[in-house]
Amino acid sequence: MSLSNLIDDWSRYRKGREEGGFHDYEHMWGMSIDLNKCIGCNACSVACYAENNLAVVGKEKFEKGQGMHWLRVERYWDEPDLGEERTSEFQQHGASFLPMMCQQCNAATCEPVCPVAATYHTPDGLNAQVYNRCIGSRYCSNNCPFRLRYFNFWSYYEDSWPAPLQMQLNPDISVRDMGVMEKCTFCVQRIRTVKDTARMEDRKVRDGEVQTACSQTCPTGAIEFGDMLGMYDPETGVAETRVTKMWRKHQVELGKTKQNKQTPEMRGYRVFEFLNTDPCVMYLDRVREV
Amino acid sequence: MSFSKIKRRDFLKIMGWGGVGATLVGCDLPTTVTLEEGKEKVVSYLMPEEYVIPGVGVWYASTCQQCPSGCGIHGRVREGRVLKLEGNPASSVNKGRLCQMGQASLQAHYNPDRIAKPKIRRGSSLVDATWEEAYGLIAEKTANISGSKFAWMTGSVSGHQSVLLQAYLESIGSGNHFVHETINNAVWAKVCQDMLGDSNPRIRLDKAQSMLSFGADFLGTWGSPLHFSTEYAKFRTSPRGTLIQVEPNMTLTGANADLWVASRPGSEGALALGIANQLVSKQGLSMSGLPNSVQSLIRSYTLDETVTATGVDADRIADIAATLKRRSPSVVLAGASAQGHEHGYQCVAAAMVLNVILGNIGKTIESNGEFAYASMAPVSGNTHSLVSFSQAAADKRFDVVFFSGVNPVYTAPKSLGLKESLANIPFKVVFSHFNDETTAMADVVLPLASTEEDWGTHVAPYQAGVGEISIQQPLMEPLSTETRGFGDIVLTLLKKRKETAYEGFADYYAYLRNAFSTIPAEHKNGASDEQFWTDVLAAGLIDVGVKKTSLKVKGVEFDMPKEMGNSSAMILAPSARLGFWDGRHANLPWLQEAPDQISKVVWDSWAELHPSTAKKIGVKEGDMVKIASASGEINVKVYIYKGVHPDVIAVPLGQGHDAGFSRYAKDRGVNSLSILDPKVDKMTGELALYSTNVKVTKAAKTDDVLVRFGGSETQVGRKLVSTIPADVYERTEGGDHVA
Repeated sequence: MSLSNLIDDWSRYRKGREEGGFHDYEHMWGMSIDLNKCIGCNACSVACYAENNLAVVGKEKFEKGQGMHWLRVERYWDEPDLGEERTSEFQQHGASFLPMMCQQCNAATCEPVCPVAATYHTPDGLNAQVYNRCIGSRYCSNNCPFRLRYFNFWSYYEDSWPAPLQMQLNPDISVRDMGVMEKCTFCVQRIRTVKDTARMEDRKVRDGEVQTACSQTCPTGAIEFGDMLGMYDPETGVAETRVTKMWRKHQVELGKTKQNKQTPEMRGYRVFEFLNTDPCVMYLDRVREV
Repeated sequence: MSFSKIKRRDFLKIMGWGGVGATLVGCDLPTTVTLEEGKEKVVSYLMPEEYVIPGVGVWYASTCQQCPSGCGIHGRVREGRVLKLEGNPASSVNKGRLCQMGQASLQAHYNPDRIAKPKIRRGSSLVDATWEEAYGLIAEKTANISGSKFAWMTGSVSGHQSVLLQAYLESIGSGNHFVHETINNAVWAKVCQDMLGDSNPRIRLDKAQSMLSFGADFLGTWGSPLHFSTEYAKFRTSPRGTLIQVEPNMTLTGANADLWVASRPGSEGALALGIANQLVSKQGLSMSGLPNSVQSLIRSYTLDETVTATGVDADRIADIAATLKRRSPSVVLAGASAQGHEHGYQCVAAAMVLNVILGNIGKTIESNGEFAYASMAPVSGNTHSLVSFSQAAADKRFDVVFFSGVNPVYTAPKSLGLKESLANIPFKVVFSHFNDETTAMADVVLPLASTEEDWGTHVAPYQAGVGEISIQQPLMEPLSTETRGFGDIVLTLLKKRKETAYEGFADYYAYLRNAFSTIPAEHKNGASDEQFWTDVLAAGLIDVGVKKTSLKVKGVEFDMPKEMGNSSAMILAPSARLGFWDGRHANLPWLQEAPDQISKVVWDSWAELHPSTAKKIGVKEGDMVKIASASGEINVKVYIYKGVHPDVIAVPLGQGHDAGFSRYAKDRGVNSLSILDPKVDKMTGELALYSTNVKVTKAAKTDDVLVRFGGSETQVGRKLVSTIPADVYERTEGGDHVA
């Protein structure tokens, strides 16, 4: 394999969405998270534990960074954009909260490094993890710039769900065992259920029909979830979903390393966009009266 | 049934519909419900109904019981198990949303350490018993008891559970109902009652353009947090409201403020009066509606005086006043840290005075109406009841006491001596799910069915202008055959007391079913009885409306102690969080592992200190400090950040459960309530939670480390959370309501 081949392959892969050839996408699930509305309450994270059979690892393992929170709410005290917090005596604009789940990158850095293709891109635009194919090399986790992959260093099924807690486990998805990497799936089991229902009813999936657990529970409605390819609604004739509307409004486009916004002040941005991984999660700037 | 012996009016009373007067004309005894229907049972999903398809989840409506807010929920049931809870979109309280406590309700239900059998005390230990033994013992002990010797302590209660509970108290002839909640709005309610003529006014965050909150953590623990979170989203949509939070240590609401102001606990009232002074003297607002004494009090809080009393910068005080005036209508709230003083009432009253001066009454503070059926109306708990109960127990006034939905041995400061005084009560019955501190001291333990196993009706204490009764229905068969629903237990107890009116009801379900048959016809919309019941269950709630009321501003005189806020002693802030709440959720592993919103600590207690204070004491993050009050001491690890007043050490509630309280809470952290001084607000008798002086010293480090989520407290220059000024937001998105 020559270097130029490698670069060509990567380049073709990277542009797979725009130029075709790698995937014919059925859907492209994406999000918009409004940090003006997010209050950092953590409801999304616990909803994720409940929906996705996430293991509770306990204090000692949590200390070692082995917590399995697919969706974590990060909290920062500084505000680099406002630039005054460093010197003030108090935390006068509150905190900066950031709900982080797998960004479902379209040019995911985790995917090409998997030696067994356990992580791959689905026709739904999802960054999937095939648990029974995973051999636990952890290359993907090492390569994720967001650190949003979680490794089962242990078997948690006895400690995390002593009877009868195991009765709560969601039968729609598995409980992962030792040696397997796992991550946010955008609640793929919910997507699957809705797609199956739509197929049985011989229709297309409607906008808002799939709700991820985090988006559904969010007390302020900060998390929007939907299909980035749009969904044609025969009744209204509109092909825009709520989430595409948000992306268009805030002038963020998929497939771009640097956004060329007509109104640069519109709030949309993607975390680490410059790394060229093309995340499907857009954040909207936090707002503060200063 | 023995209804023929009961007068109609009495019957309506036992069903909870009493007290509506004229609307009941023409309402007759039920004719559509047969005895057979009254015996209806909930069928296990292990024997699928025709409409149950294996592998497909079905959603049933119910009501969350994790805090007193009464959010509507939907439970996903598959193959007879409840798997996931979501908010019920039909509920006006939470509009389809759910908080982390609500999500974790499932872990209370499926908890491995739930009490599965009744227990009776034999000597020093509680041993398993049968329900007949337990009921027999209770019947024996209450047989000839005089009303004054009996008491029942509960948490906030409403709906038909409240009706039955009152009926039981009446059957004994006792009026001793103590309703206790550590996290409450009791002082706010009293001030609203006195100054507005309505203890529970509606707060219009959606209409407000600015908000000044004195420690009211409305996104976390104040009022109805989920409801206010949904309203907050509207508040922050263009035109975007400005939030100013004044409090001793940062709450979840404070973390979302545009301006967060640290206050020394107790100085909130002075600050409010200082702002009032600025509004009148500099912003041209009138205070003519206020009593003369309050007007002169406001005049006395000149800028200099306020700066001296509060330590807040003069510019900042003037700025806050100007912002409130400019961004009208505004709303001013007061919560736990403002009310937790010996002059707590005055602090809250001063905040309410701002609402009067700013003209917010009628604009952003409206009447909420009154729930029509008094006996089902929510009874909200307070800490005054805890203090008076402790006193009564110390005075040996009670022979038999029931406890349900409360854990006073944990929530009562040691200085109240409650734990010791309980020895004076010869017979204590605790309705309980877990072996908590109060349960450990019981003579009889009655194991309760979980929220997901029980029937009930609930009336949310804060509803936005509607009168919804929210239904709680079992989402699955009980996990243990030996637990009983609260309503079932009280109904049995009533029958054991030979209360003939209740003999016709086989169980609490039959009682509730009957109650909904006898509901005044106007609520049925012409539906048949069976259809009506099915509809109510499917919707999870029914709106029975409210009696319209209006606010009447009344002049209330109050003073403000001058010397407060000047002392140099450290003050302990036992701040509450949306998570462990008052400690009742420390047994839920999801919440133990969910990082605290502010400090990001997991599985532990911590003390929050300002960097300057930490430096003075000579501690850094993770070091141990000893916090000593006149009433006791605790050792706890510190977390240091700039969201706390330098005179304050904050130890959030939740951990430190002596009795174990499940494997998850056992031997974990400290209970900051335990070392509080027994001070109370002089006007309301509420515990003054934010007024205990403490001495903080460095203590020896232990092997036990403080575990926190996240490696970095700052973004290290990366664009993770990008922030823009509000004026930019208004320029680009102002008036734009897309999304």
